[in-house]
Amino acid sequence: MMEFFEANKDILLFAGAAGAKLAVFLGAVMGFTALMTLAERKVSALMQDRIGPNRASVFGFAFNGLFQPVADAIKMILKEDFLPGRAEKLLFTLAPFFALVPVLALFALIPFGDYVMVYGYQVELQVADLPLGLFFVLALSGLAIYGVFLGGWASKNNFALLGALRGAAQMVSYEVVLGLTLVGLMMIYGSASLQDMVRAQGGLLFGFLPAWGVVYQPFAFILFLVASTAENKRTPFDLVEGESEIIGYFLEYSSMRFAAFMFAEFIEIVLISMLIATLFFGGWQVPYLYETGFLFPGGAELPLNHYLVSAMQVGSFAVKTIFFCWFSLVVRWTLPRFRFDQMMNLCWKALLPLALLNILATGAALLYLGKL
Amino acid sequence: MISVKKVNNKPLNLLERIYLWEIARGLLVTTGHFFTNLFNPAGILTVPYPEKTIPLPGNAKFRTRHRLKLRSDGSPKCVACFLCQTACPAYCIHIEAAEYTENSVEKYPAVFDIDLSRCVVCGMCVEACPEDAIAMDTEELPGGALGRGELLLNKESLLRNLPGEPSLLGASNRLAGEYLKSRGER
Repeated sequence: MMEFFEANKDILLFAGAAGAKLAVFLGAVMGFTALMTLAERKVSALMQDRIGPNRASVFGFAFNGLFQPVADAIKMILKEDFLPGRAEKLLFTLAPFFALVPVLALFALIPFGDYVMVYGYQVELQVADLPLGLFFVLALSGLAIYGVFLGGWASKNNFALLGALRGAAQMVSYEVVLGLTLVGLMMIYGSASLQDMVRAQGGLLFGFLPAWGVVYQPFAFILFLVASTAENKRTPFDLVEGESEIIGYFLEYSSMRFAAFMFAEFIEIVLISMLIATLFFGGWQVPYLYETGFLFPGGAELPLNHYLVSAMQVGSFAVKTIFFCWFSLVVRWTLPRFRFDQMMNLCWKALLPLALLNILATGAALLYLGKL
Repeated sequence: MISVKKVNNKPLNLLERIYLWEIARGLLVTTGHFFTNLFNPAGILTVPYPEKTIPLPGNAKFRTRHRLKLRSDGSPKCVACFLCQTACPAYCIHIEAAEYTENSVEKYPAVFDIDLSRCVVCGMCVEACPEDAIAMDTEELPGGALGRGELLLNKESLLRNLPGEPSLLGASNRLAGEYLKSRGER
């Protein structure tokens, strides 16, 4: 038995580390997503001068509504799992999985820290570092269309189908912009691996400005922000759902199947916030913090313990993610919905040419600087 | 003749057509509210009803929880004529009449129930009452109960006078007065 462990030490360590990372990271993400469902209601309430949910309590302790996600989950589980008589049973059942699985799989690619030394082993704080990570992100987020479209089509309901058609058109359109905005970043960093891109953002520009993606590509950041909101199907681009008119592709869904769609949407918020933080705001980088400690532009130094540095990096990533999640909620509760033709015009006549121009400008700048 | 109203919608200027600046202005308003309320939750106007109630705002005369008025001798003004029960569109009033043993002229309600869970707070009962016996001026908003039983009002919970009100007005009061006078008790 010991011989087996000795012989396969590397692969066992790799599997153990990957499993541990997956458990911790996915657990944190799922917990945070559950809190997001509460945060959405609390943030909207505060923006509209209300209080929000504060009644769900355990033994009389409500903690201002902290148990609301638990109450929601119990309610969802206890609801009747309704299957429409005319629905395509297999596809109808499959659709929530198609909505949920791609977004969950994408978390494997997000680097949430640099590395930590555990008993002399270097553990990378990323579940899977693919060399073509960015393409994999785009490919998997393209798969999420299946959840929308299958859900709407298999329901055999006109309104659900309408929502699904809108969703497919919208997501395919904005996928293009989403991909093209990232080309500029790949040109600058010369890599499509997310961890490499974050490491490249650790330097300084002009000796004091953190070399984050948003500094190099502010234009691409705005385009990405808009396109990712549309990709996420949230207000102002929630025509897919269109609560006041067609209810959307999940019209016929109830119980946990509906909850899967809703949960997928919230996970997508977290995911997109993480992607924005990773690509444009330096991921886990803290300005002026290097492996050995702080090194300020003036020359001041503050050496720090390796574990403290790692913790600060993971914390920095968490703070950035939480900020963009909050920003997404604020946008959702501020803006009204676009009309469908307005949304399509915005994508094909405004965002797409601008994204292409951005690539052109980036290429020209790199050529001028002799870095191409 | 159909009148046509011309609306002069101002065409958007370039800054407004780009959206982003206007969106930023909108976000500034909402985030302003968000942070104001986050750091000063006491400023939120929402009242955690039913744990906390506030006096109804303004001088508006709201229709609130019902009450049955009392005469100065403590008997209900209601003469159990069933007019409110008949007028009620929600069928939420239930009356059982009984006669005073010492006074065969008028009746009184032995049972007077109002089911607030059915009541639509329309005020028809108040308008129908010939005796001015039922009123909706207690300034208690009905609702906010954990069970249906809490919304069932019986005669004991309905009978009450507002401060300084014991009154002898009303037709039956006159009858009662005459009756009492004939017995030499007034």
